[in-house]
Order: sequence, then C-alpha cells, then structure tokens
Amino acid sequence: MTNLAISVSNLTKIFADNKAVDTLNLEVKEGEIMALLGPNGAGKSTTIRVLSTLSGFDEGEIHIGGIDIDRDPETVRRTIGVVAQQTGVEYFMTGRENMMVQGRLYKMKKADILKRIDELAKYFELDKSIDRLVTTYSGGMRRKLDIATALIHRPKILYLDEPTLGLDIHSRKLLWKYIEELNKKFGLTILLTTHYLEEADGLSHRVAIINEGKIQISGTPDELKNNIHGDSVVISFDDVTDKEKAYAEGMKQGGQVIDTLWDGNNLHLYVDNGASSVPPIMEQAAKDDIHVKTLSLARPTLDDVFLKYTGTSMLDTGEEEAEEWWHQWAGKDGGKNWKGNKWVEADGTQKGEWEESDDWQGNDWVNADGSSKEAATTEETQEGESADWQGNEWVNKDGEQKGDWGDSKDWKGNDWVDTDGKPKEDWNGSEQQVASDDSNVTDDSQNESAETTDKTEPASDDTANWQDKEGESADWQGNDWVDANGKPKGNWDK
Amino acid sequence: MLSDTWHLFNKYMTITMRMPLWSLFTLIQPLLWLIIFAQLFGNFVQTGEGNYMDYMVPGILIMTVLFGSSWSGVSLLREISAGSVDKMLVAPVSRVAIVLSRVMHSAIQVIAQTLIILAVAWGMGSTITFNPLYLFMGLSIVFLLGIGFASLSNGFAITLQREEPLVMIGNLMTLPLMFVSSAFVPVEFMPKWIQYIAMVNPISYAVEGVRAIMTTPQDIMLFAKDFGIIAVFAIASLAWAVSAFKALRD
Repeated sequence: MTNLAISVSNLTKIFADNKAVDTLNLEVKEGEIMALLGPNGAGKSTTIRVLSTLSGFDEGEIHIGGIDIDRDPETVRRTIGVVAQQTGVEYFMTGRENMMVQGRLYKMKKADILKRIDELAKYFELDKSIDRLVTTYSGGMRRKLDIATALIHRPKILYLDEPTLGLDIHSRKLLWKYIEELNKKFGLTILLTTHYLEEADGLSHRVAIINEGKIQISGTPDELKNNIHGDSVVISFDDVTDKEKAYAEGMKQGGQVIDTLWDGNNLHLYVDNGASSVPPIMEQAAKDDIHVKTLSLARPTLDDVFLKYTGTSMLDTGEEEAEEWWHQWAGKDGGKNWKGNKWVEADGTQKGEWEESDDWQGNDWVNADGSSKEAATTEETQEGESADWQGNEWVNKDGEQKGDWGDSKDWKGNDWVDTDGKPKEDWNGSEQQVASDDSNVTDDSQNESAETTDKTEPASDDTANWQDKEGESADWQGNDWVDANGKPKGNWDK
Repeated sequence: MLSDTWHLFNKYMTITMRMPLWSLFTLIQPLLWLIIFAQLFGNFVQTGEGNYMDYMVPGILIMTVLFGSSWSGVSLLREISAGSVDKMLVAPVSRVAIVLSRVMHSAIQVIAQTLIILAVAWGMGSTITFNPLYLFMGLSIVFLLGIGFASLSNGFAITLQREEPLVMIGNLMTLPLMFVSSAFVPVEFMPKWIQYIAMVNPISYAVEGVRAIMTTPQDIMLFAKDFGIIAVFAIASLAWAVSAFKALRD
C-alpha cells in the first residue's frame, strides 16, 4: 500500500453543459493537511462531494486510503469523516443525540458511541453544552459539533468543506487550533477547502490552488508564495536624489532584491522573503547614509496568487452559490440525463426572467431618470423630488410598493399641489369619493394617516385618493404620467 | 437496513416530540371540517340507514392522513438544503432506510392524529365502533395510505427539486382528491364524470375500507378488497420514491 491517503487522477465531473471538475489530479499524503484554495465555483465543493461518495463522477480514478471509490464506496465511507459546508446537525436535538444518531449510522455499539461522545465533547470543549439543544448553540459551537459528529467513527481521513465560512475571527482561530491538533495528535489526514488565504497559509502543510475545475499549482505555502511575487518592501524617502537612486540600483545589482520600482518618493523592492530581507535593506541604507522615512512590508494577497496562476483576478471569478446545492445534487450521470436538463431548465428560465426584468428596469430607470434629471438641474428641490418619485414608482411596480410610498413624503405634500392643481380633479371624479377614501386610508395605515393630518387638506385628499386607486393603478398612472412627463406614458403601456 | 430505518425513525420522532404543537396544527383543519360538515351536510345528504356523522367520520380520518402526510417531501427538501441528508449519506447507511424512515414517521404521526379525531367524533355522538380489533384494522388502512401519500410527496420532492411546485402538488393531492372520492358524498350523488374519477381515486377505497370496518355492521370482504388496493398503492408509491432517491444519488 502506498502512503497516499487520497489519490485522484484525471477526475472529471460534468454538470449539464460545463465541467465542474476538469481532469483534476490530486495527491494527499497520510498525516498531511492539504488545502484546496479557490474562489466560489472553482470546483472545490464538487471535488469534496465526489471524494465523499456523495456525488458520482464522469471520468477518472479515485483511491481513498488505497480503496477504489467506485468499487467499494461503503468502505470508503467508513474511512472518511465529512464536514460539509452546511452544518447538517439537527437543531431540535441535543449535541449528544446528534452524535448518537450519527454513531448508530456507522453501526457502532451504544457503549462505544457514548465513550466516544465524551472524548470528543471534551476535546472540543463542548462537554458543558453537549446535553443542550443545538438551537442554543452559537455558530462556532455548531461547527465544532459538526466536526465532532464527523469524527464519531474514528475516521482516518477528514474532509472539511469551508470549515470556517461565516465564523467570526475568534471562532475561526479557535477552530484552526482544533484542526491542527487533530492532525498532530491523532495523525488525522485532513483535506480542507477554503477561499481564505490565511487559512491555507497558516494551517496547511500543502496548498493546491484550484480554478475552473483544475488544480493550477500545488505546493507548500512557502513554495507557492515564493513562486508568486515574493514580498514587496516599500521604502519611502523625504526626497529622491541620485544617492537614493544609486542605492536602489545597488540593491538590485547586489542580488538582495529581485526587482525595484519607483513610485514617486516610494521605492518598491521585490524580495523572496520580506521579513528576512528587511535588516540587510536597512543596513545598506545606513551604510549609504540614506534617511528612510517609512518602511512597509506587503505580503502577496490571495488575489496576487490567483492573478499569477489563473490569469484572472479572483474578484472576477465569483459565482453565485445560492442554488449550488441542487447543482451538486445531480447524480453520477452529471448533465447527461434528465436531472441535468431539469436543472438547466429551471435555472435557465429563472435567469431569463431576471435578465429581462433587469433590462427592463434598466431601460426604465434610464428613461425616467434621464428625463427627470434634466429637470432636476434647473429646479433642484422640487424636481429632484419628482425624480425620486418616478423612481419609486417604478420600484413599486416591482413589488416594493408600500415602503417606498411612505418614503416619498415630501412629494405627496408639495409636488402634487405644485405641479398639478388641475389633474387632481381628473382623478378625483367626485368629491364625495375623496372623503370616503380619506377615511379608508386612515384606517388602513397609521403612517399614512399621521402624514395626511400634517398636510393641508387638498394634499391629504390627494394622498388618500392616490392610495385608494392603487388597485386601478392603470388609469391613475396613465393620468399621472401625462401630467408629469408626457413621454414615459409609452413605457407604461409596454 | 432495518436498524438504519429504526435509528432514523427514532431521530424524526425525537424531533417531532420536541415540537408537538406542530403536529397539532395540522389537526385543526380536519377538526374544523368534522364540525362544519356534520352540521352543513348532515341535513340533506341521505346516506342510507346510518347517520351522516358516521358516514363522514371515515372521510375525515382519511383527510387527516392527506393533510398530515402530503407535506413530507417539503421537509425532505429542507433537510437536503440544510445538509442533514448529506450527513446521513456520508455514513454507510442504507439509502432505502432514509426514505423508509421518513414515510414511517409521517404515517405514525398520522395515526396519532386520527386517534384524536376519533375521540372528538365519539364525543360528538358518532357510533363508530369501539372494537379494538376493528379499530386496528381500520387504522392499518390509515397507516398504509399515509405511507403511500408520504412516499408520493417525497418522490415528487426529489423529481421536482423545488419547493413551490411541490406545495402545489400537495394542494392538488389533498382537497380535490377528497372531493372526487366518496369521502363526504355517496357515489350515487355524484355526476357521472366524478364517479369515474372516484373509481380510480385511492382515497375512495381507503374511505370505503375504513367505513366498512369501523361502522356496524362490518363488511369484512369489502374491507379486505380495499385493504389490498391500498396496500398495492402504498408499496408502489414507496418503491417509486425509493428509486427516485437512488437515481438521484448514484
């Protein structure tokens, strides 16, 4: 048997029409902490799901602890512990009950499970809360319980999918400590995914950068960082003279720095190892009788790493995760059967709708705003308000009606009376109706009534009528648009 | 598989027992129907020799089954998105047990609810049998129907993969199916086309079977026939749900 805990060769997993994982190769040695580092949608979670037997795959070969995952998934399941992104713990059970059920699913004996629960609870410092309902747990505690349940059957290999996602800094650091100790004390092999550079850096022995379903590069954190840019030491001077320039040139010639770059009075020195290169840099400066005003040391960011190995900034590769779970739930056949199609269909239509409504909003906003903006420049306050109002109007159509109505307070009072006068009669129809409408409004919404009492009478009538006619908004809007703008009326008809 | 089912079933029961109010809520509607229908239709629906109350109670029992079990799939979807299904699946657990434990849990819950409905019906003067054997036989149909509809709901949950259409189907499974069955109105009162629907509607048979065994005089032969039909329905639904679940996974 090899001493490889996980060996993945040419793994490909296809969802619908895109390759979530594309000929991925990965090796994790026994007793190692390996981090899969990449942005959302890079294929991290999919890889973990495939390696946990939760998803099938289209091509490739996977051995976990020397066992072919395709031939004997049951044995693989006994070998691994999995902590998924969502904490799958039951909220209406106690910590102990959660662990008990999980232990039972691994066919463990009750006494053995109880012993193991005590061990794990103690280890994760959950012993005081183990008999409390999970609803009372904090996010960090839930995460710890989740990891503890995954360890109930004493697995040799532990997968952690974004273990610290959504945790505060303190809980995150605490969790890192536990993970590190699990590895050191118990020799657990750990494969974790993350998009935090510090997590990959501080916690893991080796890091594999994954993007678009492929491992771009892997190595120890130091190797990767040295490969990337090196650090940059930035020195700023009061003034740049020939002396400083000579110093910079000397540093480069002398081989202490890889490259130099001037940025005003700041000198960027690229070095392999920032911390250890600062003393010689300062010594040289002292020798050359140069006064250094400030010195700062910048370490490569995740984005730098990414830029180097993927050619794109990590910020551009983000992908919405909202519905990813169904994505991941597609079966072994990936996108080749109805599941895939179904998913695409659902997603496709949804996206379509969104885009349409976006465009539509976009156009509309441009129209409404554009015309009103011109006006707004001539008469700032009043027309500005009416611009807002048009804005709100559109938003209304999208469904956020009431809140926005409430917001355009000034408008109801001033704008109406100012711009219109006449139209008021148009909509009111009859005076009696107005009165009854007014009372309706008072009943309906407190805000509204509070407001109407502040205003002058005609204004309040308007508001009332307005509110009431929301149901028949077509007519009313029609009138209104004609009054205020003329043009946008066309939009409404659309 | 059986031990997996048992442990998972236990888990669901534990959770349910922590929130007993929830299962009580689903009782409200059948209870309301029981009271309203008895008053409303009692005066003009002729049901042969027995009173309408006795005719209707089996219908209400079956209605409770539908309301109780047709939403089982919704919670499956929630569990999937919450990650607890994955938590089970990473363990070497029987895939059949996951579905089976869910529908068993749903059916048991429904049995508890029907017992409460029965108690209320007796309180309202129904002459439904007290004979424990007959009650047990009647409840066995209730149980099987619960399994059947919970399976359908779970199966649809997996096939549709979304909550909204699932809720729609849940609605469609409950009320309309009730009214195109002999639950509240004897078949003879129905227009011809509804009679045809009622004939292929499993609810008709469930109601008929419960009525045959729970109201005196008992009709064992009729009960046996209906029991058989419902059993087939339950097993077929369950098999479909399990195969949908497996197909999704592997």
